[in-house]
Amino acid sequence: MILIKDLIVKLGDFSLVIDHLKINDGEYFVVLGPSGVGKTVFLHTLMGFLKPLKGRIEVNGIDITHWPPEKRNFALIPQDYALFSHMNVFNNIAYGLKIRGLSKDYIRRVVHEIASILEIEHILNRNVDSLSGGEKQRVALARALVVKPHVLLLDEPFANLDPRLRAKSRCFIKRIHERLRFTAIHVTHNIIDAILMADRIGYMKEGRFVTVLYPKEFIKTEYARPYLDEILPLSEYLKNSSYNN
Amino acid sequence: MLRRAKSLMLLFVSITTLGICFIVLPIIALFLLLDPNILAKIYLKDPIFYVQARKAFLITLEASSISTILLIMLGVPIAYLLARSNFIGKSIVEGIIDIPLMLPHTVAGIMILCAYSGRGLLGDLLKTLNITIEDNFWGIVITMMFVSFPLMVDTIKIGFESINPTLELVARSLGASAFKAFTTISLPLASQSILAGVILAWARALSEVGAILVVAYFPKTINVLTLEWLNTYGLKYAIALSIPLVLLALLLFIVFRLMVSKE
Repeated sequence: MILIKDLIVKLGDFSLVIDHLKINDGEYFVVLGPSGVGKTVFLHTLMGFLKPLKGRIEVNGIDITHWPPEKRNFALIPQDYALFSHMNVFNNIAYGLKIRGLSKDYIRRVVHEIASILEIEHILNRNVDSLSGGEKQRVALARALVVKPHVLLLDEPFANLDPRLRAKSRCFIKRIHERLRFTAIHVTHNIIDAILMADRIGYMKEGRFVTVLYPKEFIKTEYARPYLDEILPLSEYLKNSSYNN
Repeated sequence: MLRRAKSLMLLFVSITTLGICFIVLPIIALFLLLDPNILAKIYLKDPIFYVQARKAFLITLEASSISTILLIMLGVPIAYLLARSNFIGKSIVEGIIDIPLMLPHTVAGIMILCAYSGRGLLGDLLKTLNITIEDNFWGIVITMMFVSFPLMVDTIKIGFESINPTLELVARSLGASAFKAFTTISLPLASQSILAGVILAWARALSEVGAILVVAYFPKTINVLTLEWLNTYGLKYAIALSIPLVLLALLLFIVFRLMVSKE
C-alpha cells in the first residue's frame, strides 16, 4: 500500500499539494487531468526525482520520502517507452535484473517467463529500433514488470499509439494486470483510458487531487463533464448512424 | 522559374568546385613535390636526419595521445554536466570552454606560459610539485590540451544532448544508481560522439605548432622540426618530413567522415 500524507512539492511557481492519498496493493490507479496540472510532477515525486518540501510517502508503512529512485523499486514506463537502443530486446528486459547482480541462468529464465506472458518471446533477439509501437510498449512493460516493482508507473503509455492499437493495448494491459495484480499508477489526460482501465480515478487540478472516485462515480461528477461533452455527440452520432448494422 | 533555379545551382556548383580545389590543390601539390629519395633519407637512410625525424614524430604522437587521453577524462564529465544541467552562468562556462578556438596560437602559448610556467601564476605551486612546462614534454602536452579542449568538450556535449534524458530516469527506476545509469546507458549511447571528439581533439593536437613554439620549443615536435628544416634545408626536406603526419591526419579525417556518415 502507498500512503501519501501532507505532501508539498515546489517547482518554480508550481506547487503539488497532496493532503492524503492511499493507493492499495494491486490497485490500478489512474491519475487524470489536463496538461499542466502536475501529473508528471506527481509521478517524478513518487519516483524520487523531485524532493518534497514537506510530507511523507510510505510504502507498506515504511517512509521512503527521502530514498533515492533506485532504492524505491517503482518502475517507470514513459510515454515514449525509452527503450535502450544499444541493447536488444532481451537485454532491455534483463537490465534491471543485471543491475541487481542476479545470476545469468535466473535472468534468462525470468526474462523468458515475462516475455511469454507478454507474448514477445519471438522478438527477444531483435533490435529495439526495428519494433512496432505495440511491440515497444510490451517490451517496456516486460522490462518494468520483470523486476517485480512495488508500483508500476505508466506515463501516458498510449499516447504514441494509433486509435486501433490504443484500444488493443488497453485490453492487453488490463488483462496482464488482472493476471499479475501489480499496483499501477497510470497518468493520462484521456478519460476513455481512465474509465476503462482504472479501479479508481484521481482527478488532478492545479496541483491537487480534487477527487478520487470509482470510474462509475467519477463520470457523474462535474470534472468528467467537459470530457464527456466531447465524446457524447460522437456516441449519439454512432447510435443514429448505421455503425451497428 | 525552374530554369532560373537550375542556373543558380550551376553557379553554386561552380563556386563549390572552386572551393574544393582551393583545399585539395595544396594536398596534391605536397605529394607531387615530394622527393621519395629525401623521404627515404630522412626517415630511413641517414642517421643525422632520421634520429631527429623519428624522435620528433614519436614525441608528437606521444604528446598528442597523452593530451587526448587526459582530455577524455576532463571532457566527458564536463560535456555531460553541460548537456544535462541548467545553472546560472552556464553560457559563460560554455563561452570560456570555447576561448581557445578564438585565440591566435602564439597568444595561447603566451597565456599558458603566464599561468603555468616557472614565472607564471601557478609557477611556485608547480615548482614545489616538481612540474615544469617550459621546453619540456609536459609543456607540449598541456599546450595540446589547451588548444584541443573545446573540440573535445563540444563534440561530446552534442552527443549527450542527443540522448533522451528519460532513458536514465528509466534506468534509475529499474535500480541503477546515477553513476550506473551514466555508465550503462548514456556513456555507451554517446560512444560515437566521444570517438568523434577524440579524433578531432587528437587531430588538433597533432597539428598544433604556434603555441608549442612559444611554450616548449624542445623537445621538438614534428611541426617545430618541419619549420626548422624549412628554414635550414628548404622546402623539399620540410615536405618529406611532414608527409607521415599529413597521411596520419588524412587517415583520421577519413575515419571521422566515415563515422559521421554512419551516424
